[in-house]
Amino acid sequence: MKSICKNIRRQILHGAKESGHGHIPTCFSIVEILWAVYQVLRYDPHNPLWPERDLFILSKGHGALAHYCVLAQLGYFDPGKITTMGLFESDLGCHADRFKVPGIEASTGSLGHGIGLAVGMALALKIEESDRRVVTLIGDGEANEGSVWEALLVASNLQLPNMTVIYDDNRSHSRGLQIVDPAEKLLAFGCDVTEVDGHDTEALIEANKYRGERVHAIIAHTRKGYGCPTFMENPYEWHRRSPNENEYRSLLEELDAETV
Amino acid sequence: MRKQFKETVMDLSLRDNRIVMIFGDVSVYLFNDFKEKYPNRFYNMGISENTLISVGAGLAAQGFHPFVHTIAPFITERSYEQIKLDMCYNRFGGNIVSCGASFDYAWDGATHHAYTDLAILRLLPGMEVIQPGSTKELNTLLRSQYNNETPTYLRLSDHPHTIDVPVEFGRGVALKDGGCDVTVMTAGPLLGNVLEACRDLPVNLLYFHTIKPIDTGLIHRFRHTRMIVVHDAFGLKEAVCEVPEIRVISHGIRDAFCGCYGTLHDIRRSLGLDTEGIRERIIRELHCRQ
Repeated sequence: MKSICKNIRRQILHGAKESGHGHIPTCFSIVEILWAVYQVLRYDPHNPLWPERDLFILSKGHGALAHYCVLAQLGYFDPGKITTMGLFESDLGCHADRFKVPGIEASTGSLGHGIGLAVGMALALKIEESDRRVVTLIGDGEANEGSVWEALLVASNLQLPNMTVIYDDNRSHSRGLQIVDPAEKLLAFGCDVTEVDGHDTEALIEANKYRGERVHAIIAHTRKGYGCPTFMENPYEWHRRSPNENEYRSLLEELDAETV
Repeated sequence: MRKQFKETVMDLSLRDNRIVMIFGDVSVYLFNDFKEKYPNRFYNMGISENTLISVGAGLAAQGFHPFVHTIAPFITERSYEQIKLDMCYNRFGGNIVSCGASFDYAWDGATHHAYTDLAILRLLPGMEVIQPGSTKELNTLLRSQYNNETPTYLRLSDHPHTIDVPVEFGRGVALKDGGCDVTVMTAGPLLGNVLEACRDLPVNLLYFHTIKPIDTGLIHRFRHTRMIVVHDAFGLKEAVCEVPEIRVISHGIRDAFCGCYGTLHDIRRSLGLDTEGIRERIIRELHCRQ
């Protein structure tokens, strides 16, 4: 694990402990994905609305804590704000608000919305003949939503080579509606498909550089809670739970031991 | 009214290259001119109402002026959360223009009847809700609201009225103001029936082409009269009821699906919304007052 990603996981743990909020296992599954995206996209943390920026939409909005930690790491805002997450007057909700958090392009939370917005944004950039691009991150649990597949059909029909859909295959769907062989499905829906180890930052960076003739889907094979065996073994117990002080220290030790 | 919709959009497009048309496989042929002239801003995205709204919001986020157009119940009731979150909560804006509302598709039955659209959309913060009753009203209101970066709903009708009414967004009109004890209120194409029904009756008549924001000042002016909302949809009565000190009775939609087919006139008659039914109800109210 890259030290930067380990550090982001430490911030996630700390933010969850202090705030009492956050979906830690799902946040841990997307750290490398988020970090890799921002190594490829064009952005300016000192000018978040820079007109030439690329656009990233976190469609699986409950990964907001991980997104906050990455944005803070990139310099969008003071990392000290993260511990305020979920407080009444905090800028940081458990799902992000684009009017309150620099770097957030769309307020998400209800699943199956961000990907449709991303299609519209990619279409806008195509009409403008802009070389800017749009990346959206969806979850495999989120892919239970029909709107995800409807948006993919529309995106394929619109032929949007400037759009990348990253599919976080962290097995969230496994206890409910199963999505069998997502690569085959995404291919059938008209995407170019790349499969990568979702915790291999370099592979994710390379995948994000791809530019073909149609929508690019990256299936990132990940594990919920990656980095701490406690989370990986009990992802549902920890789905929406934050650690107390003792648990926090123990989880930090697990993370530092990097036993995965 | 759809023809007017196209003509207004074609005219606006002469000066505005940010207009994008998104169709749900409806009215596509009608807009052939637009397609030929602006092929990269014309998209028939098929029967995918949720995505039509999300894509419209995404286009608006990047500074375009999208018109999402398809059949009323599907684009409003099915896509309510997309309108709520993608257009309203995110404040990306965009225009939704529906057809077939109320009972324009009477013969298709309850799946195609749409009388909740105005009522549910007016609950969304930031949403503008417009029910033009005539082609003139559509033309004026579409031009004034389409590019204001605010989510706007315009509901077309296949049966517009032809009464020449002053048009200004957010302003109601007192078509009869005789200091009467009873005030009738209506909106949209039904004005044709309502005006005919009460032409010689001693009532005030208020007309609204904008449901949200409702013209509270106009309503408040008549607060000491007995008020009847006559409408072929939910939404106007609820808007009127939110004005302080107002008590209102309504005549129109009931708490039941309409299980019949036929024509718009057939269904209006069954609900007492034909000219005779409306007149009868108002006369009953006048007698009640006496």
